[in-house]
Amino acid sequence: MTVHTPIESRRRGIPGWALALTGVMFLAGAVFFATNLNGSNPPILGTPQPSGSGGGLNAVSIIKAAGCQACHGPDLAGQAAFPNLHGVKNGPTSENLQQLGKDHPDDWANLWIAGTDPAVAGIDRGGMPVFGGPPTNLSAEEIATVVEYLKTLP
Amino acid sequence: MSPTSYHCSTPLGHAKGRAGIGQTFCVGYNAAGFAPSRPVPIDARLRTPMAVNPKKLRPYDQPPKVRRPILPREPDNGATAFLVAALVWFLTASGIGLLWVAYQLFPDQLTLHLEMPTISGVLTFELSPATTTSGFWNSLVYGWLGNAGLGAILFITPRLLGRRLATETAASAAAFLWNIGLIAGLVAIYVPQLAGSGALTEFPLPVAGVLLLALLLVNAAFWRTVLASADRLPYVSIWYFGVALLALLGLYGLISVAQLLSVVNVFSLSPAGMALANAFYGRALESLCLSGMAIGTLYYVIPRATANPLYSWGLAMLGWLVWLGLSTLAPLASLVDVSVPFAITQIGNVATFLLILPAFIVVANLLLSLSGRWTLVLSPGTVPFAVVALTFLAANALLEAIGSLGSVRALVGPTEWGTGVKLFALLGTATFAFLALADHAFPRLLRRDWGGTLLAEATLWAAFAGAAVAGLALIAGGVVHGSLLAQAATAEEINGFVFWFRLVLGAGIGLSALAAAVLALNVFLMYTIARPAEYAVVGEGAPVPAAQ
Repeated sequence: MTVHTPIESRRRGIPGWALALTGVMFLAGAVFFATNLNGSNPPILGTPQPSGSGGGLNAVSIIKAAGCQACHGPDLAGQAAFPNLHGVKNGPTSENLQQLGKDHPDDWANLWIAGTDPAVAGIDRGGMPVFGGPPTNLSAEEIATVVEYLKTLP
Repeated sequence: MSPTSYHCSTPLGHAKGRAGIGQTFCVGYNAAGFAPSRPVPIDARLRTPMAVNPKKLRPYDQPPKVRRPILPREPDNGATAFLVAALVWFLTASGIGLLWVAYQLFPDQLTLHLEMPTISGVLTFELSPATTTSGFWNSLVYGWLGNAGLGAILFITPRLLGRRLATETAASAAAFLWNIGLIAGLVAIYVPQLAGSGALTEFPLPVAGVLLLALLLVNAAFWRTVLASADRLPYVSIWYFGVALLALLGLYGLISVAQLLSVVNVFSLSPAGMALANAFYGRALESLCLSGMAIGTLYYVIPRATANPLYSWGLAMLGWLVWLGLSTLAPLASLVDVSVPFAITQIGNVATFLLILPAFIVVANLLLSLSGRWTLVLSPGTVPFAVVALTFLAANALLEAIGSLGSVRALVGPTEWGTGVKLFALLGTATFAFLALADHAFPRLLRRDWGGTLLAEATLWAAFAGAAVAGLALIAGGVVHGSLLAQAATAEEINGFVFWFRLVLGAGIGLSALAAAVLALNVFLMYTIARPAEYAVVGEGAPVPAAQ
């Protein structure tokens, strides 16, 4: 057998002050909304991060979202067959990218990460995904942010 | 003994080997109210059940063993499992919280990588600011608050509906799955190769599957009980719980499906799209799920602990309707990206601002329900916990409303302000609502005569000081940080200022850890040294007067 023990209430109806307050609040909200529609949103991946260190953390967000650390390791220092990304400011460290580095000394990393340019079409990617196309679809700006960050790694 | 009162005798499971067994204590009110099918004499309870005549047993004979089911089916087993696990997670989360603060203060000095060779390659165990941050929030939200919220729902629902939980076995299985999943997920967070991305969505997909199964079982138990009830307009707590459970299952299911489709390359959101989905999920989890569970719990514990009726049923339902609409829209405010029209984000900001209205309605309704029992606020027990929860609810709604204003967002948007407000909601409102429930429920679940101890006071003050100090430190730090950013200060200058606020945050989290430890000690002493007791329905023939 089960004992039914409901909680009673002193009154069933809604007090008048509550209805009035609700009406006033919603009216204020509607006015606020109607008068504050001008504006624009910043990019979510470009929002400055709490520590105040600027672009470095934006790049970290992109790197984490794109899953770079799954192969290159949590600190991007490489693991197993996947190369170390530290020191790329001096040029490519992998053997298969040396020629690309010579042909495109300024943007070889951007081309390699995007993977959509004919300049990298014939190079064995060794399992490296194409980040400039589906499914990741990183924009040229996002790739540039990541490359700038990688060039700051010791 | 009245046939409608809960039986007042020492239960067999707790009576074995105890001095003074057989004494009867009927204290307070046990809304569980599941009377046994027939009364069992106390002497009979002390004997081991036997199927044979004991006089004919020979020395080598063993009494037949009592077969117990793997998953217990007793009333309240699911609620007990969830609430005991919540207690352990509260302690764990605050411990990881201390680690989180330490890594915020000294990120470079403390970062640690351990490589573990496995069959499929080398896995890296990482202790860093990123992993400790994920560990803290996940253990706090899913471990402590998730377990406590689900336990509260399973404890309160049968008591309000007057029906035994429809599938008690499923509830027990859900508690097991939920906690096994959480342990596995927490371990995976510290191995970045296994962890997912986002905030509160880092658990690997197999772990997410286990958690979803647990949520499905709790939903099944809850909805079957509600639908089987003859009460067509159940008490307001049930409405809050229903929304919270459906939202948690639906949102976590959707985000997990999105991750699964991305993994199998069927459909993949862009990094910005995934970041938006994660941001929406994190905000909705707080505004719909955790606050729904907390408010539903407060609507139960205050009338129960004061033995007063609710002030107004109509006001409660008005508050629920307004809360439901605004809490569903408020997460739109987190969709801040160039791909989202500004008007959509602004709807979310206005809803966040207006959330102050349902918070005010809840606080007013429950404070008016305290009428005539104000002295309970000053005595140790359930009511002070609940009143502190209401205070944090009002403060949090006010801070959220202030933070939704454009000028304030521009100043403190990229700072610690938001984390401080979130701590107010999680360590303040939700934690105190569930502490109130724990104070009310544990003596009833463990069947012990216990309450109003010095340890409850210590828990109250340590948890209050901890939540207030931690939240205010980050809110103040956010204002300072925002001001420095506006003055174009360098990162070194900003970190130099923010360091001291993070130090104070550490003190606040330490006090919360102390509260968790004292609560665990309180429950341990309750179970080990308190007198066994049954809680009877007030005024229905209980041999000992009710002692609320």
